[in-house]
Amino acid sequence: MAKKIVKLIFPQRLIKEPLTFKMAKKFNVIPNIRRARVTDTIGELVLELDGEEKNVAMGIDYLVKAGVDVRPVEGDILD
Amino acid sequence: MGYVRGLKCRECERKYPAEPLYVCEYCFGPLEVDYDYEGIKNVLSRDVLTSRAENIWRYRELLPIDGNPIVGLQSGWTPLIRADNLAGELGVKELYVKDDSVCHPTLSFKDRVVSVAISKAAEFGFDTVACASTGNLANSVSAQAAKAKMKCFVFIPADLESGKIIAAIIYGPNVVAVEGNYDEVNRLCTEITNKHKWAFVNINIRPYYAEGSKTYIYEIIEQLGWKVPQHIVVPVAGGSLISKIRKGMVEFQKLGLIKNIDTKIYAAQGQGCAPVVTAIKQKSEIIKPVKPRTIAKSLAIGNPADGYYAYKTVTDSGGWADEATDDEIVEGIKLLARTEGIFTETAGGVTVAVAKKLIEQGVIPKDESIVICITGNGLKTQEALAGRIRQPVKIKPNIDSFEKIVHEK
Ligand SMILES: Cc1ncc(COP(=O)(O)O)c(C=O)c1O
Ligand SMILES: [Zn+2]
Repeated sequence: MAKKIVKLIFPQRLIKEPLTFKMAKKFNVIPNIRRARVTDTIGELVLELDGEEKNVAMGIDYLVKAGVDVRPVEGDILD
Repeated sequence: MGYVRGLKCRECERKYPAEPLYVCEYCFGPLEVDYDYEGIKNVLSRDVLTSRAENIWRYRELLPIDGNPIVGLQSGWTPLIRADNLAGELGVKELYVKDDSVCHPTLSFKDRVVSVAISKAAEFGFDTVACASTGNLANSVSAQAAKAKMKCFVFIPADLESGKIIAAIIYGPNVVAVEGNYDEVNRLCTEITNKHKWAFVNINIRPYYAEGSKTYIYEIIEQLGWKVPQHIVVPVAGGSLISKIRKGMVEFQKLGLIKNIDTKIYAAQGQGCAPVVTAIKQKSEIIKPVKPRTIAKSLAIGNPADGYYAYKTVTDSGGWADEATDDEIVEGIKLLARTEGIFTETAGGVTVAVAKKLIEQGVIPKDESIVICITGNGLKTQEALAGRIRQPVKIKPNIDSFEKIVHEK
């Protein structure tokens, strides 16, 4: 089993779609929502994904292919 | 003993002990150092501060270390220059340049944050420090680790300019060039942090490291005669410096060292990597990551860790933001050099260019006090000027040849 913390950014056209739910069902990954911000034009969601390592990876891949920006939660720490 | 109470989540305010932690277990928000300000108020006054040595540690009660600092005794207290020549050019009355291009030991404001990070890492008992970097941070960590006699790993993208690599390697760290882009270096380093017991200054030591930036604004306030400027233009990459500028002012107010804060804070980024500026202009508190494309490589962070806080800092202050194109960045570097005799790096070019724009647009009024933040040295980014500046005039070694070109002028 693997746990991965990610930040998802949804563009406007995807805000209303239940993508996280679909991903969770399809790959048997448990999403645990920790934080969210949504405006009219963009949505941000901090999640912990829990599941088989390869399922978590496929789940993330699925979201990326759907057009969601997926990043590790620490953000870009380069200075 | 220090005055640190512990760490606090910036999102949900949950408290944590002062350990090498950086994210909240509950909401995954970033952690920040929390102080006993009542205690500090009893010992700090203008007189006490004024009597101390001129380096970042004169503010040690407001920095998160417990014992004596092991590095940074030459860092900080950089000049705040009244920039009348540049002011004349921009048509403003009261303009200052806070010049960290001469901050020691490695000529950028990163020496402030790294001095704190390495002193703290030693207190935690780490024997190895590390960082993920595109330049200035790598230089500072390498130099200060050498001074602190600590082992050092510096991770950089493999396609970094050779000048920056040399300015790190010379101090003897392990320089690891990762074949990948910045995002990938970043991701790798986060994984390494979980695996090795190292002090990654901008990952697991980040809450402590970031505090060092506050000394930049403390100094400005002291140098202005215990006053805040009315406007301050700040370069933004990860968004740490700009949010700590705000925190530093609020702390000085809490301690009774200054009365009111009426400073408007402005964010400056390079066009092609301006996620914070875009968010501010669109009034969207969610930062949309970008793939960086700018000559201001030290600011080329597409997914800023403190982007949201940078956004909040600017909007809460009533400030604004703008971006500079590559050409404008070079013009900004030239303008500062030509008017004030200061050679800054691309990040400084961004700040000057954006300050100029905001003044021209009337966003920053011409008759109020303005500080421009110059945070790095131009000798480090000379590549950015290749083909963009004049060449020297060539002559034969005789007087006729010289007279000819003098008359041509
Ligand atoms: C010269 C210079 N100025 C400004 C910054 C921006 O600082 P921050 O990442 O805290 O926004 C950086 C580095 O990131 C830098 O190297
Ligand atoms: Zn929290």
